[in-house]
Amino acid sequence: MSGIASKLQQNRARAAGIGTNAQAVKFLNQDYEGLKRECLEGGRLFQDDMFEANVTALGFKELGPNSSKVRGVEWLRPKQLTSNPTFISGGATRTDICQGALGDCWLLAAIASLTLNQDVFARVVPSAQSFDGDYAGIFHFQFWQFGEWVDVVIDDRLPTRKGELLFVHSAEGSEFWSALLEKAYAKLNGCYEALSGGSTTEGFEDFTGGIAEVHELSKPAPNLFKTIQKALSWGSLLGCSIDITSTADSEAITSQKLVKGHAYSVTGAEEVEFRGELTKLIRIRNPWGQVEWTGPWSDGSAEWRQICDGDRERLNSKAEDGEFWMSFTDFLRHYSRVEICNLTPDALTDDSVNKWALSKFDGNWRRGSTAGGCRNYPNSFWMNPQFLIKLEEQDDDPTDNETGCSFVVGLIQKNRRKMRKVGEDMNTIGFAIYEVPAENRSSVLLLQYVGQRNVHLDRNFFVRHASAARSETFINLREVCSRFCLPPGEYLIVPSTFEPNKDGDFCVRVFSEKQAEFQELDDPTKMNVPEIDIKEVDIDSRFRSLFGQLAGADCEISPFELQNILNKVITKRNKDGTGKLGLLEFKILWTKIEQFLDIYCKNDKDKSGTMSSGELREAIEKSGFSLNNALHQIMVARYSDSNLMIDFDNFVSCLLRLECMFKAFKILDKDNDGTVELNLMEWLNVSLL
Amino acid sequence: QFLPSNPPPPRRPLAYAESNESEEERNFRKVFQQLAGDDMEVSPNELMNILNKIISKHADLKTDGFSIESCRSMVAVMDSDSTGKLGFHEFKHLWNNIKKWQGVYKSYDRDHSGTIGADELPAAFRAAGFPLTDQLFQMIIRRYSDENGNMDFDNYIGCLVRLDAMCCAFKTLDKDNDGMIKVNVQEWLQLTMYS
Repeated sequence: MSGIASKLQQNRARAAGIGTNAQAVKFLNQDYEGLKRECLEGGRLFQDDMFEANVTALGFKELGPNSSKVRGVEWLRPKQLTSNPTFISGGATRTDICQGALGDCWLLAAIASLTLNQDVFARVVPSAQSFDGDYAGIFHFQFWQFGEWVDVVIDDRLPTRKGELLFVHSAEGSEFWSALLEKAYAKLNGCYEALSGGSTTEGFEDFTGGIAEVHELSKPAPNLFKTIQKALSWGSLLGCSIDITSTADSEAITSQKLVKGHAYSVTGAEEVEFRGELTKLIRIRNPWGQVEWTGPWSDGSAEWRQICDGDRERLNSKAEDGEFWMSFTDFLRHYSRVEICNLTPDALTDDSVNKWALSKFDGNWRRGSTAGGCRNYPNSFWMNPQFLIKLEEQDDDPTDNETGCSFVVGLIQKNRRKMRKVGEDMNTIGFAIYEVPAENRSSVLLLQYVGQRNVHLDRNFFVRHASAARSETFINLREVCSRFCLPPGEYLIVPSTFEPNKDGDFCVRVFSEKQAEFQELDDPTKMNVPEIDIKEVDIDSRFRSLFGQLAGADCEISPFELQNILNKVITKRNKDGTGKLGLLEFKILWTKIEQFLDIYCKNDKDKSGTMSSGELREAIEKSGFSLNNALHQIMVARYSDSNLMIDFDNFVSCLLRLECMFKAFKILDKDNDGTVELNLMEWLNVSLL
Repeated sequence: QFLPSNPPPPRRPLAYAESNESEEERNFRKVFQQLAGDDMEVSPNELMNILNKIISKHADLKTDGFSIESCRSMVAVMDSDSTGKLGFHEFKHLWNNIKKWQGVYKSYDRDHSGTIGADELPAAFRAAGFPLTDQLFQMIIRRYSDENGNMDFDNYIGCLVRLDAMCCAFKTLDKDNDGMIKVNVQEWLQLTMYS
């Protein structure tokens, strides 16, 4: 257990590029190449002991060990199922994905959309995997998880019953990439059952690292069809669904064969001339690979006979493959929402398409320090992490009337799905956007000019300024996402939980049409504590004789003596020092404690005798320290009690230790380059104190 | 060289881990749930209560009880996400270590005083996996022992938890294994202040 060090190491790895698609994080530290080599050399097939092929991999409740649904399940390798399995044959196509006995249609719809874009597909499904040549029963896939790419290794034992795959399978039954992909995703989420019930946007994002927006069709934006067409041509992934009014409605099929509460993919949007008018059509696919719309423009319907041959050739589909056309008007009438997943620039290799510019930051909310809650809590809202975005260039889209800079902000909370079993709920999250007025802006720039990175804005700023925009709502979803169009300028994004003091980790991303500068506003870490300048001759005789009484014959105060003194003075618990104190050192310490007492009393606004964690942040600043968010979090975690209060002795030990550690760093940083190097002995010497 | 206790295996998804654990692990998880309460995290206060309840059953261990300060410090050195609490895995790691180190304590308290004297300390720490230099032992005695150089049980555990955590921290940061770590001022303060 290396505590905070593991967090630091993770930050370093990230800064070095770990977590990008090219250098994915190895899930559970399993290395695909290494494991495969071992299997080939040992002449055996891979057996994954991190995700064993037994009932526990299936689920915990409906698919749990005692459920009838898992009876008779056999784990078989593709070669045991069919004589001639393939990984991918004839390219990955949408018909390779047929849903099994699991409610993960949302995921399958996302996988189906994936097959429409070869670049995106290749990032999730690494090439050169097959059942011939160096086959060793091992496969790997890459998923995007809360801001970084993760490489997941699996063995190819798949759950079957009576010789049939239990879950996702290809239409022909001999192509296995989709079933193996589903298994890898199940491993990442804990088990197959964890995939049951979710939103297509989650699947979209995990497969692309993109950002997903939702459009409600009950009140469609006037240019929605254009947006859909544009999104399809930008390589974005699209899904749609029909709401259910009760749970009994789930997967109910309407008279026109549309499935409610089910995730479809949108695969095309075209206009054709029909009865002398341009008619908008949309192509949709059911991930079941069957059950198609039977209304106007469905496969083989009469409408197709009334359009020109060219259009019919181009668009017509008759196969029972789950894919069908319908008119956009019918689409708006029958469907409830469309989800669009915008892709990151690195996912699009084609130079001809427009690409979003992407910026991203990780952050966290911690009770008592950086979990400030929403704007309803003005006393703590300012303590939330803050991010600055500079929008300089306007969009150059001639087709819409909007002028300004378009950008999409997504706030995603981390690692919640895996916690589902413990009953841990999602936090209610959202964000607000503030325009940084010119005067603050110049000061931000000026501070940067004089070498300070940036400065966290304080309570006064938020009391005086109204927000320029905000997320539509605060909601307990994995991600909150909104599209904005604002005039050029500098804006502050403040992500928060609805209520203060909720622990959480998040990743905030901004997709902008034009390049935009994005940075975290955080205070620099430095100390500006004046040295107490006292010479031994300056100490008055009263203090001298007091010291003499306290220190005893050796004229030095040991930790045990100090403890007695402090306890007498503040009648509270102690914090021992180390070594011993001479007269001068004791006088300095004493002066400091007096100063701290002064600051403590001034910040204890309600005169309760204790200080709240919110007051601590300001008191630390008044004492001459500037700390970043991570350090403020640590101060509260280390020195406050269970009610987030800091008593005086903890306040004193906190400030004394801070000063001591700042000084120690300065001494160790001999060449003044801002880093120190230590060997183990040196490290233990300083860290055990 | 040093033998800090082994790092735990990488975390498996919870649903998976839970359904794959042995009888002993399952019992331990039940105990943990009772101790940690609904949030499944152990706060310094909860840790103090647990530890003091346990040592009260061992008359041969001399101690004035774990203080809240030393429990805060133990939580701090093991907590990796600065929530101020320990999760299941961290607590289990701590638990196993305490069991192990308690055995060492008893066998190296040769005069059965209930404490580890300054002369018994190097051997006890070596047995716990930490062969330190004389200078470090002196520092530890100054910091963790009483005026007569005797270390009681709560200080002994507090010291070893910290020593173990700091060795692990060093190992984690020394990615290239060259025996040196390099930290900037933010990292330095995070490491030293949260302990």
